[in-house]
Amino acid sequence: MFFKSKENPKIYAVQDGDSVSLDMVPDQVFAEKMLGDGVAIIPRSNKVKSPVNGRIVQVFDTRHAYSIETDDGLEVLVHIGINTVELKGEGFEPKVKDGDRIKVGDVLCEADLDLMIKKGYEIYTPVIITNMDAVKTIKTFSGNVIGGETPVIEYKKA
Amino acid sequence: MKEFTYKICDELGIHARPAGLAVKEAGKFKSKITIYKDEKQADMKRLFAVMGLSVKQGDTVRVTIDGEDEEQALVSIEGFFRNNL
Repeated sequence: MFFKSKENPKIYAVQDGDSVSLDMVPDQVFAEKMLGDGVAIIPRSNKVKSPVNGRIVQVFDTRHAYSIETDDGLEVLVHIGINTVELKGEGFEPKVKDGDRIKVGDVLCEADLDLMIKKGYEIYTPVIITNMDAVKTIKTFSGNVIGGETPVIEYKKA
Repeated sequence: MKEFTYKICDELGIHARPAGLAVKEAGKFKSKITIYKDEKQADMKRLFAVMGLSVKQGDTVRVTIDGEDEEQALVSIEGFFRNNL
């Protein structure tokens, strides 16, 4: 018998920058994985791209966070910046709306990193699987990444 | 079944952080815990569902708790809302 090993599904970097482990994020909700497991991107680019193929469940009213359901049923949250809910939408220009179908690399949002830094916000973008009950194993990758191109998470469905 | 209503005081409403904390709190209990805003409802153990309600300051939510540990859950969840939202 010959079994061809099937490649595990992947989640891709959302911005150009550095992928770091969640415990680096200066916010315990993310660092302690309270919302789920994943990585954070320390970005160099304003364009925030989709990490997966799927559907936009919710663009937050404050435009800084995006809920995505992947085609295989994972729930992925892209949260741009830390405490940036306080900006109430300023500096975020969404390019998608609720219900849109998206592919890896599609632009979700233009985020004004300079504005965030100027206003004193930490520019980490956590990318989190929030329904970890749907996942059996997860592997995360750190290092230099290109948005929409470099895999940062590999997982096996439960 | 137990239930309570609560008017949200927090200026930013139930955004990602409080939603995450609420889900974590709800996850400590076996009971089915449901949060209602207007005609919408969400399983309080599911982050996407809770965030999807887009609960704002001034909104009134209703929470129902149904199950074997509903007494303790009521105290804990209602306390969570008062302390955090």
